[in-house]
Parts: sequence; C-alpha cells; structure tokens
Amino acid sequence: MSQAARRLLARWESILVLAIIGAGIWSTTLSPFFLKRGNLLDLVTPYVFIGLMAFGLTFVVIAGEIDISVVSMLAVSVVCFAQIFDAGVNVWLAGLAALAVATALGLGNGVLVGLLNLPSLAITLGTLAAYGGLAFVVLGGEGVASFPNGYTQIGGGYLWRNQLPVALLVLLGFALLLGLLLHATRFGRYVFTIGSNREAARFSGVPVARIRVSVFALSGLMAGIGGVVYVGYFGSARADAGTGSLLDVVTAVVLGGVDIFGGAGSMLGVLLALILVAELRNGMQLANIAGETQDIVIGALLLAAIVAGNLLRAAQADGALSGRLRPRRREVVEHEAADSALPPSLET
Amino acid sequence: MRRKKLGLVGIVAGLAVVATLTVALTAGAGTQAGYKIYFLPKTTTIPVFTQNGIGAKLAAKSLGDTVTYNGPTTVSGTAQVPFINAAIQQGFNAIVISTSDPNAVAPALKRAAAKGIKVISYDGDTAPSSRVIFVAPTSNSLIGASQVESIGKQIGYKGQIAILSATPTSPNQNTWIKFMKATLKLPKYKNMQLVTTVYGNDDPTDSAKATQGLIQAYPDLKGIIAPTTVGIQAAAQELQQEGKCGTIKLTGLGLPNDMRKYVKAGCAGAFALWNESDLGYLATQVAHNVLTGKLTGAIGQSFVAGKLGKRTVVVSDGNKPVVVLGPPLVFTPQNIDKYHF
Repeated sequence: MSQAARRLLARWESILVLAIIGAGIWSTTLSPFFLKRGNLLDLVTPYVFIGLMAFGLTFVVIAGEIDISVVSMLAVSVVCFAQIFDAGVNVWLAGLAALAVATALGLGNGVLVGLLNLPSLAITLGTLAAYGGLAFVVLGGEGVASFPNGYTQIGGGYLWRNQLPVALLVLLGFALLLGLLLHATRFGRYVFTIGSNREAARFSGVPVARIRVSVFALSGLMAGIGGVVYVGYFGSARADAGTGSLLDVVTAVVLGGVDIFGGAGSMLGVLLALILVAELRNGMQLANIAGETQDIVIGALLLAAIVAGNLLRAAQADGALSGRLRPRRREVVEHEAADSALPPSLET
Repeated sequence: MRRKKLGLVGIVAGLAVVATLTVALTAGAGTQAGYKIYFLPKTTTIPVFTQNGIGAKLAAKSLGDTVTYNGPTTVSGTAQVPFINAAIQQGFNAIVISTSDPNAVAPALKRAAAKGIKVISYDGDTAPSSRVIFVAPTSNSLIGASQVESIGKQIGYKGQIAILSATPTSPNQNTWIKFMKATLKLPKYKNMQLVTTVYGNDDPTDSAKATQGLIQAYPDLKGIIAPTTVGIQAAAQELQQEGKCGTIKLTGLGLPNDMRKYVKAGCAGAFALWNESDLGYLATQVAHNVLTGKLTGAIGQSFVAGKLGKRTVVVSDGNKPVVVLGPPLVFTPQNIDKYHF
C-alpha cells in the first residue's frame, strides 16, 4: 500500500465513510424501504437543526472549550423569532433579529469564558439553565404555529421531484461555509492553535482572548440559525424547542473526530458523523426496532468512537505508546499555574 | 507498528458494532394481511403508553389488522417526526399518534395524509388540520371538575392547594389545569386557594424535587393535584419520605399498579384515570373504521367499537371531531385491588 493511500485510510473521515457504507448495507438488510431515493434524501432532514448546532460547537471544542448552552440558545432563537414575527414584523426580518439575539447570548458566554477566563463547562451549564429559563419568560407555556406558508414551505419544503429537502441543502451549505472558515482562514488556524496550546498561541501573537470570545459568539449564531431552520421545518415555536437534543449535538461532534481536549477536528468529520447517526436511526426505525434499542446502538457507537479515536491519535502521534491519553490540556493548565506564580520572563 | 495499531482500532470498533447489532436484530417487523397501523406514543418509556399499545394490538387482532408500536425514548414532538417519516416510507395505512407538541408533528402528518395515510390522534391531540379524528380518554371538563372535587373532599373544601403538572407546554395538562381553575371559581370551592402550579417534566426526579419545593415554600399547604402518572407517583413517594401523608393530601391521575402501596399507606386518598388499554383499543378501532370508510370525521357518525360497544363522533370541549372513551375511573382504597395496570 502506498504511503498516501495508507494515510488516507488512517484518516478519521475515511473510517466514517466506511462506517456509513457499512451501516447502509446493514440497513438494507433490515428493511427493503431503506434504499428508496426518497428515504435516502430525507433521512437527515429531522436532524438538520442538530447538525447546525454541532457545527458551531465544533469551533468551541477545537478551541479547547465546551458549550452546552447551545440547546437553550436555540430555544431563545425560536421563541424570539416567534414573538417578533407575531408582533407583525416581516418573517425574514424576525429571523434576522432572532439570530442577533442568539449571537448576543453566545457573546455573553464568550466574554465570561474568554475575557474573564472562567471554566466553560461551569459557565455554559449556568447559561444552559438561564437561557432555557429566558425562553420560557419570552413565550411562556404557549406555542406559536401561525408562520406564513411561504416560510414553512421553504423550511420544510422539497425540490426536484418533490424529494430533495431544502433543509438538507441548508445543512450542506453551512458545512461548506464553516468548513472553509475552519480550514482555510487565519481565524480557523488560530482556533486550532489555541486548542493545541493556549500559552504557545499567546506567545506567537495570536489574539487569544478575541478568538475565544468569537468562537462562543459563532456557537450562539449557529444555534440561532438552527432555531430559524427548526421553525421552518417543524412549523412550531415553543419554549422547550430543542430539549433533549444536547446528547445528539455532542455525539455528532465527538463521533466526528473532534478531539475533546481541543486542537484537532474537521467540519467534514462532524457532517459525516451526523449522517451516520441519522442513517443508523433511520434504518432501525424502518425496521421498527424499539427506540430504547436505538439508543443503545447510538450510545455504543459513541463509546466505540471515543476509544477508537484515542487509539488512532496515539498511533498517529507516535508508534511508541499505545492508547496513551494525551496530557496536553493538563500541560496547559500547569503552565498557567506556573505563569501566575512566576514573572513572564521565567516562562520557558 | 502503525498498521498494528490501526488493526486494533478496527477490532474494537468492529466488536462494539457486532455486539450492538446482535441486540438490535432480536427485534423484528411483522407484515400480515389486513390494514397496517403504526401506533406512535409520546414515548415508549412511560407505562401508560405500553398499556395503550397492548389495547391497540388486542383490537388489531380481533379486526385482522396489524399494529406496529414504536416511538422515541424522550417526550418530544420533534423526536416523533423521524418515526412518522419511517411510517410513511414503509407504506402504513394509518398512523395513530399521541403527541406532546401538536404543531411540530403537523407538517410530517400532512405529508403522510398526502400519501393517503389516515391519521388518528389520541390522548395528546395534534393540530386538528393534520388528523381525521381525535380519540379522547374522557372529557377535559370532567377531569378538571373531578380532580378539584377529589382534593376538596379530602381537605374539607378549605385551605391552600397546588398543582404538580408535567411540562409547561403539554396541551392536555394545560387544558385540564384551565378547567380546574374554572371549577375552583364555583361557590362550593371558595375557601380553597390554588397557590401555584409547578412542573416535574414527567420525570420522577424533577417531580420529586418540585414536590419538595412545594412542601418547603408553602408550610400551610393542604393538598396537591398531580394530573400526571409520573408526577403523582413521585409526589406520593416524596410525601411519604417527608412524613407528610397526613397533613398534605394528594390526588391526580395515576396508575393503580404505581399507586397501590401509597393509597394503602394513606398517602393518596383517591386518584383517577381511564383504562389505558381500552384507550389504545378504541383508537385502533377508530383507525380501522376510518380505513374502511365507515367514519369520515363527520359529527354524528357512529360505529361499533368491538367490546366497548357503540360510539358516536361528537364535539367535545369545543374540539371536533372527537370519539370519547368515557368518564374518569376513580380509584380509592376500597376498589383499587380490582384493577391491575
């Protein structure tokens, strides 16, 4: 096997593609309905809003942080969209306003984590609850469903023989756009650098605080877009929108090969992981396999991905130590501790 | 060396997949003669829905139809949508659904209807434009009135009461609460004050915490109404643990099997429900009669619902067209041992 071919096979994305093909074959044996074109095109559609949140979260995790408040920011986006539209504002303007609100909430996370250097898990756990409560304050227990047909027909509509879902195109469009932002811009490189070693990034002149604030704002914006798409597809706005989807969002990111310690990952991987999860669920649903069993399969897949991903990275890093957990984040923390105790000139 | 590592990765992933597939493949699908009915509860993880499914299969058996029972593991309308899509792809003849989000499932149900699939809602109604007929367990106004009367009787029609509900957005919960508030305005209940409504999200832990919050926040609380099977059980358990069974009375909607020991311990004086198995049975009977063309959703049409006898399509609580199962069934320490579900 040539060096290039071997490198391609060792890539996480290649493994995901193989898994998608394998899951496709399995699903075909489970149900004769799986391979129908209408089914294949539609199987990701109900999970598009989850994918959009996962895309935003990818930046945060690569930067070495976590944002579990995405589902609450989605809920706020959904209810603001509904309330502003209900007040008589044009549906597209209302959508833009909802995005602005969600971005502001993300910015709030970013300021707390990026500028004040507070731990992101604790901060976003707090805002998960606070923003979730805010959604109920905005809309209460009521639901809004009076969105114009023109809008919901786009969000939940189909093109090309009435089989190609618009929401799927939205998902692919954002995957491409954010993929470029992550892998082909200076901003993206900075995100990777900060996630790999924040101290080194700072000494290399990377605007660490600004980038860290930005990734949280971007996560808020993507949750906001997820909310606007959610309303388009489901035609429903309620304060509990997105409840219960956090696990799926994190699954897509981790299964997508994004290093939970930061510094590594790809947008393509997250997109493929979302497709894999949607495909597996679809195959099992077509075979009428119980929801509980579906959860076991998806959970096992996530565990397998974490174990395999760790082994793979260890193998890629060097051949010497197998299955070694990389202590990178810990090193950064130790450096920070040293940094605060010693004058900067002593830092090596 | 590197290749060996990758091989190990493959083996680990492979083992995990094989293990899960073995579990998954033990469940299977059935395709038989007669109509194919897809029975989609709010979630498969709450026992009442299992009862609905048992009744549905019983009805299907007597009608020569087949029922496929499946649904999400979380109470979420959006999580039901992939299941609706799966039912459409498989070409089922009818979908019988109970939902917690009437609007979120509507577009998917309309896609189903466009393909000729008949949609029947039961228990938790969908947007009326997305289904043919709604099968109601009982009348909402009757539930609201009977719950207030049940707690009133236990506390001597005097003092503070609170409601422990499921989620703030659950349509049937909110409708019942609305009728409870209307009932409380009657002169008979003028000495009873509803102090608050709290939410346990149909989750045992959340419901227990909400009950604990009530006990601490309202020292003079005399009674709790928990119109949810998860909530009433958690509340009863919490009252028992806190030693409050004598001072705070409890009523609500619950399952006899869940509540038996608490009723006998005096932690819930009386509670109500309907026969959940019969509800699934009736919904399936309605679906069958819609498929044969006997029912079209016109008010006044009637049919024979197997062992339940003759039923008529009516307007109930301003909602239409509706087929009603019957008045609430009240369980007390005296009659609870007659029921096992």
